[in-house]
Amino acid sequence: MMTEPNPPTEDLDQLMRAAQQGDAAAYLNLLRRITPRIRAVVLRQRGFAGVAEAEDLVQDVLLSLHAVRATYDPARPFVPWLLAIVRNRLVDGARRYAKTSAREIRLDETDVTFSEPATNTDTGEIADAGVLRQAVRELPEGQRQAIELLKLEELSLKEAAAISGSSVGALKVATHRAMATLRRTLGVKGK
Amino acid sequence: MNTDRLVERLAKQLEPVAPLRRPGTRAAAWLIGAMLYVGILTLSMTSAADIAAVENDPWIVLPQVVAIVTSMLAVTATLASVVPGHSRRVFVWPVIALAVWLAALAAASPQQAEATAGIAAANREWLCMVQIVLGGAPLVAVLAVMARRGAPLHPAVTAAFAAIAVGTLSNVGACVSHPHTDNGITLAWHGAAILVLVLVCVAGSRYVLSWSAARRMSGDELQLDR
Repeated sequence: MMTEPNPPTEDLDQLMRAAQQGDAAAYLNLLRRITPRIRAVVLRQRGFAGVAEAEDLVQDVLLSLHAVRATYDPARPFVPWLLAIVRNRLVDGARRYAKTSAREIRLDETDVTFSEPATNTDTGEIADAGVLRQAVRELPEGQRQAIELLKLEELSLKEAAAISGSSVGALKVATHRAMATLRRTLGVKGK
Repeated sequence: MNTDRLVERLAKQLEPVAPLRRPGTRAAAWLIGAMLYVGILTLSMTSAADIAAVENDPWIVLPQVVAIVTSMLAVTATLASVVPGHSRRVFVWPVIALAVWLAALAAASPQQAEATAGIAAANREWLCMVQIVLGGAPLVAVLAVMARRGAPLHPAVTAAFAAIAVGTLSNVGACVSHPHTDNGITLAWHGAAILVLVLVCVAGSRYVLSWSAARRMSGDELQLDR
């Protein structure tokens, strides 16, 4: 994780005041500065739950902060306000974790096989990431870009359309064709 | 979604917001409106003779003054509880005031029994409870709307203080329009009515005051278009 010297808290106060007035650049700057701090607090308290869960909590804090930014009093310091939200979300997260972990049994990934060969779609060929990467590389340009943006980078259709310059409809068609090509290339049966 | 991308989206969708006024200021605004409402409601249900009898009895007036102070402190605590980082000391004062109010009612009970015996009618004692709970409902609704503009940090605490604020203020109206034979009965009926309000408000708090509701209320909920 990248570490940066803690910015003076007065800066954060000013950035939050500007954010309340609608200054997007100040808000972006503020969020970028506080995210590592939030992550550090979350990892310290909830690191045992795993990095993915901790990152979910960081995002939860950011969304909560965004939703209640009107409650920040410009005359007061920003950090205690932020920490109160972080603490609250951590407690809620711990409660959620306790509830779900009481009901869930974690299983290691196991190979599942069925008696009918046709039902065993999880073949070694598909699991081989190298083969899949090669197959994607060999796709025609438009299809490859659609797969990369929509399936690998997990962008929305709108975002992918904005980046590629294609229409949403064209992207859908390209993705459909790419999937069909990949199935043929990899020898996957079924839908 | 990647956190960096979330940060960019939040900044991109930023809308200016007016900072909430301080809890004390918002509490004063609610209290003025609530006192007007309770006053009108009470006057519409009370005869001039009842009001005159109450005005002349310090053992009725004193607990009502304490009840109004309790309401004022409880509504401030309600609105402070939805401000992240606000001092938690404001939570102590309404609890103390509530204790003083209960003590004032208990202390006044023997002295006042004789003085108010003439204005009480045993068959309408339960009406005070209806007035406090049903009459207080619109005040709870207004306070819920005000609290939802804040952060739902402790929904049950917020709801409990809101119920105390409404209950103690409505109690003043009920004491004028439906006076009891003595403060011991007032304590039992009004205390029970406030307890009902607290229980109902606390039970409903997690539906009214939640982070998902806060995100919807903020008006610029993040558009996750996938």
